[in-house]
Amino acid sequence: MASRRLCEMAQRRLVSSAAAERLTASELRSWRSSLFSKEQARQRSLHPRVEKIEVTMDAPGLQGTLLVMNKGTSTPYSCARHLTEWHVSSAALALVDGEPWHMHRPLTRSCSLTLLTFRDANPQLVNQAYWRSCAALLGQVLDNAFKEEYSVELLKIPEVPVTAGAFCCDVVLDPQLDSWTPSEENLRSLTREAQQLMLKDLPWEPLEVMPTVALEIFSHSRYKQEEVEQMAANSPSGAVSVYRCGEHVTLAEGPLVARTGLCSQYEVTALHTLREGQWGLQRRAQGLSLPLNLTAHHTVWRKLRKRAEKLVEIP
Amino acid sequence: MRLTVRALISHGRVARRIGLGPESRINMLRNILTGLVRHERIETTRARADEVRFYAEKLIDYAKKGDTNKKSMEMADFWLTEKDLIPKLFRVLAPRFENQSGGYTLMARIPNRENLDRAAMAVLEYKGNPFPPLFPVKRTHELNLVNQLLKGYREEKAKLTTETRDS
Repeated sequence: MASRRLCEMAQRRLVSSAAAERLTASELRSWRSSLFSKEQARQRSLHPRVEKIEVTMDAPGLQGTLLVMNKGTSTPYSCARHLTEWHVSSAALALVDGEPWHMHRPLTRSCSLTLLTFRDANPQLVNQAYWRSCAALLGQVLDNAFKEEYSVELLKIPEVPVTAGAFCCDVVLDPQLDSWTPSEENLRSLTREAQQLMLKDLPWEPLEVMPTVALEIFSHSRYKQEEVEQMAANSPSGAVSVYRCGEHVTLAEGPLVARTGLCSQYEVTALHTLREGQWGLQRRAQGLSLPLNLTAHHTVWRKLRKRAEKLVEIP
Repeated sequence: MRLTVRALISHGRVARRIGLGPESRINMLRNILTGLVRHERIETTRARADEVRFYAEKLIDYAKKGDTNKKSMEMADFWLTEKDLIPKLFRVLAPRFENQSGGYTLMARIPNRENLDRAAMAVLEYKGNPFPPLFPVKRTHELNLVNQLLKGYREEKAKLTTETRDS
């Protein structure tokens, strides 16, 4: 207990002095992650008593299935674990009372639940979530990829329709890197980084937080703070959804898919230089990815990849 | 009755021989056809199903002329041994195939009979019946991720070609 308090004190001191001093990228990551864990633990402790909710499954072949789950603890993922292994491995997103819901987000009420996969009759919702999560993964890779002395500022992930051909992640790199043009070798190493993450099969952990907490998590980055304020103003409940994958904490507008292992083919195709913005020279990283069990033949993949190299214009 | 190589080299005996003679064949076909009209989906040997199929389609063609037509009434009277089926033929089946010309039936091969004779079997049905489909319904994967990406690719390509043509 004493050590924990000591830790907290150290952390508080870190918080107060954080804005002044500059942390290295890895320190920053672990700091954000620790804040995330703390908030997660706090939210879990809000449900000390086990209360039961009834979850009715609504999917072909599962009509009339009723699961009795724990309120505030059980997630759609735990519901899937009561069904079959196929449901566990292939469910990418859940639909709770018609509302898209992340697989690891706790259920708060009795509801009807549908598990969505990539091979459904109408997978548009899952496709969009997949595109979003691939962009988040790309952001994570870019955040990790550079040496400690270079700062990387991830901008807001633009919502791109799947038909645009590539997902995008806007980034502002250190001013020292402004003259750097990425070679093919560089892009390949980024791809390899992403594939390492996919191999680890990390889950995306969701958390709905109040803007104050989110502001604290992102207290080192002016841009992220502005983004948090914008998101909080736009959302009806005033909460901001934050996701963590490994140690990387990111903001997302909509739900992401369950885990990184759902990506199968993944390639970073281009890193375009956009323009001089408010925060520095903006660059747009683009990539192409296909989920598990939907892999393309190499001829098709080559065509799609070639298209994904072109700059995606966002109006 | 199909013209096959086997039929061609069999000295003009092109018809499949069913039953004990011509009359027996006709009676057998009538009974099967009556069963088909009553149940809309029947299981029989493959040769009989193939043979009946022609008459089943022809009967619908006659029925579509309406129950006031003399010839079609004669045909219905002859081919349906159970007379309560005649109204069904004119009121249910004929309206069902109103907008369709030909191809009213569907035949599917099924495994050989488990009997001693191991006869090749088939299912014959009138289309549009209320039973579950014989073949699994083909799912469309138009909206899945790869197809959406390819759709975008095709659209872009078409746009590029029209642009180059215009300029």
